Amino acid sequence: MIKGVWPGRIERLLWIGVVFPLLTGCWDRLEIEERAVVLAIGIDEVENGSEVEVPQITNESDIFAPPNNQLVRVTVQIAVPGGIPLGPGEGGGGSSGVGGGQRSIWVVDAVGNTIEGALNNLQERIAPPLFYGHLRIIIVSEAVARKGIDNLNDYFRRNPEVRRMNWMFVCKGKAIDLMKTSPQLERVPPLYLVSMMDQAVKMGRFPNDFLGLFWSASSALGKEGFLPYLSLKPQGTMEIDGMAFFVKDKMVGLTKPIEIPMYMGIMGMSPAGGQVYVQVPEMHNFVLFGGRARKSIIKSSIRDGEPHISIHTGIEGVILEKFSEGMPLDDRTIHLIERKLEHDALEGYRELIRKTQEKGSDIFGFGEIIRAKQWRYWNRHIGTEEAWREKYKTLDVDINVHIYIRRIGMKSR
Amino acid sequence: MEYPRQITVIQAAAIITSTIIGVGVLALPYFAAGHAGTASPLITLAAILLSFFGLWFISVLGMRFRTQSIVEYSEAILGRWLAFAGNLLIILFFAALTSLAAREFGEVVITAVLKRTPLEVVVAIMLLIAMISCRKDITTFAYIHHFYLPIIVFPAIVIVALSLRNAKAINLLPIWGNANSWSNLLGGVLVVAALFQAAFIYTMVIPYMRRPERALVASSAGLAIAGGLYLSIVIAVIGVFGAEETKKLQWPTLELAKTTTLPGNVLERLDAAFLALWVTAVFSTLFSTYYFTIFAIGKLFRMRDRNMLAPFLMPLLFAFAMVPTNVLHMYQIIGQVGRLGLYLTIGYPLFLLIVAKIRRIRGNSDDQGRVARPN
Repeated sequence: MIKGVWPGRIERLLWIGVVFPLLTGCWDRLEIEERAVVLAIGIDEVENGSEVEVPQITNESDIFAPPNNQLVRVTVQIAVPGGIPLGPGEGGGGSSGVGGGQRSIWVVDAVGNTIEGALNNLQERIAPPLFYGHLRIIIVSEAVARKGIDNLNDYFRRNPEVRRMNWMFVCKGKAIDLMKTSPQLERVPPLYLVSMMDQAVKMGRFPNDFLGLFWSASSALGKEGFLPYLSLKPQGTMEIDGMAFFVKDKMVGLTKPIEIPMYMGIMGMSPAGGQVYVQVPEMHNFVLFGGRARKSIIKSSIRDGEPHISIHTGIEGVILEKFSEGMPLDDRTIHLIERKLEHDALEGYRELIRKTQEKGSDIFGFGEIIRAKQWRYWNRHIGTEEAWREKYKTLDVDINVHIYIRRIGMKSR
Repeated sequence: MEYPRQITVIQAAAIITSTIIGVGVLALPYFAAGHAGTASPLITLAAILLSFFGLWFISVLGMRFRTQSIVEYSEAILGRWLAFAGNLLIILFFAALTSLAAREFGEVVITAVLKRTPLEVVVAIMLLIAMISCRKDITTFAYIHHFYLPIIVFPAIVIVALSLRNAKAINLLPIWGNANSWSNLLGGVLVVAALFQAAFIYTMVIPYMRRPERALVASSAGLAIAGGLYLSIVIAVIGVFGAEETKKLQWPTLELAKTTTLPGNVLERLDAAFLALWVTAVFSTLFSTYYFTIFAIGKLFRMRDRNMLAPFLMPLLFAFAMVPTNVLHMYQIIGQVGRLGLYLTIGYPLFLLIVAKIRRIRGNSDDQGRVARPN
């Protein structure tokens, strides 16, 4: 406004003396080598009867009494500063022939009453502050998943460092065993799992299902979440062995691996990566069909006062392999194969839907479609998540499958 | 001393937009989803309309009294003492708005980014920067807003556009929500409209506009940009997370930025970029409300020099910012203050307009000299 009573000199002094130093935010200065960067977390339950002593850090037995639940064992993979090679050929374990694994990361575990409790006990033994900003992988053992992961979801939602793009897995057996394996391909083991999932999504072998999507699905009224189910295989490899499907926060069932492409077929997720054998009718021969693209149209309606879902799903694909010569591939045979595939796929789809209906776990989100499109019915008869779970068990689903084989590869017949 | 009318229509619109876009953008989808579920975009739209009425009254009054702000023409309309009470309330409200915005800013920063920095420092530094900027004249005020506007709006549009890739239409249906009661929807509209009310400071800008007769055009454009951005943020958040998940998040917009990646793995999370633009947005809002508080006090007490007011006010604003005992208490207070504010920012101008029409009071609209009346 008007030339000041308050001289500019004071203003300048304020800027230099107060504003600039404070704006640097030096309270939170934390050098990168002074933090313990957590790359992966594994969660197991502690079996009853095993002699484990919980350090009394967050609790004492009487004051600050902890929840009286099953104890959890949390295993973390911490990046060793300087141990992670920044480029090809640089240090690391690669030259010695051992996968980077044990050198680039440090695997530590601790026991606690809750996730944060266990992590806090862990922090007690690790000098630098644990930092979760680079967390990529969360592995939950099946036993924990079946008991419910509410506490886990709460913790990871609440922690501002954790991102929603992480992958969460349910694993067969113990998470700690997976945390200790070190795949040879990647010098930083958790990154191997990350690239495995990224590739699987790109190739259409697994639906995109990062943590944020799982959370959204579990929260939604007419949908349940699912997670990839990992199991440890020989030679330090891991395999996705199906989808663990949930009701609210509890794992209630497991699909077969072949049912992953089935799920993606129903949902019309492209690209298609699944491969199946087809026994060609009339001729005693087999071919291997590989999907390329999928599309599905899911419609909802109310018939006689009951919700109804009808699915039109189509898959385009190619023939990858023929079992033996002696069967010419011509247009007629192609159509025979298509019909047979449609028949088989229909069976598979029905079986998958039946399996989830048995547990009341609507991983397809049919309920969301009813809620969005048939809102009159939903408002009057359903309204809550629980009601939908009950309704889903008897939901009427119609499926129409269309398979198109477009190409047969470089061989002519 | 006389002040030339220097603020252009575009600058006026920029002032409105960057004043509206502020600290509330982070929690906005949470408020909306909590009240209306999938009807959140709908109630946001309704809230924009409601705020438009407030701005419309202000603009019409401003065009009627071209050389005066609400502090002055309310005296002409209602008489000195009645207007004094109204103006005092407005001043208190904007002081509270400034404090609470600084506090909310502090809470977010401490929770999400600078965990070990004392809250007091974050709040004080924001108020301090606003205070120092408040010593500039209104032309500079307009320039600052004009300058920052693109920095706030364009990155926000990019983030929203990128995040829409993950959105699903089904999350936004039905557009009127599932089994919402009218009172719930209305409550939601009021809560969201409360996020727009800083635009009220427009009353201070009109007397300095080069063409005050275009005040309504400028305010509509400003509100349309800010409202459009808010609406698209609500659509993106609900579309990506779904209404139920949004209800579980304190600051869903920040969460959205966290989930959004730049294509080609350039940046894996955009929350840092988003926070940077958000700090700018908070500053411009804080600056506006702080400036208006001082401006109104100056006009009310007919002070010749307002320069000393800003530093004197700061300890009070800071003290009020420290009143809420925790983050939930703060949101409770923000809710209450916001609801009361709607009476002041929408109801009061309407009342003034009606009385002015009835009493046939006009300002000196034969303003040929294009000069605002000095203090």
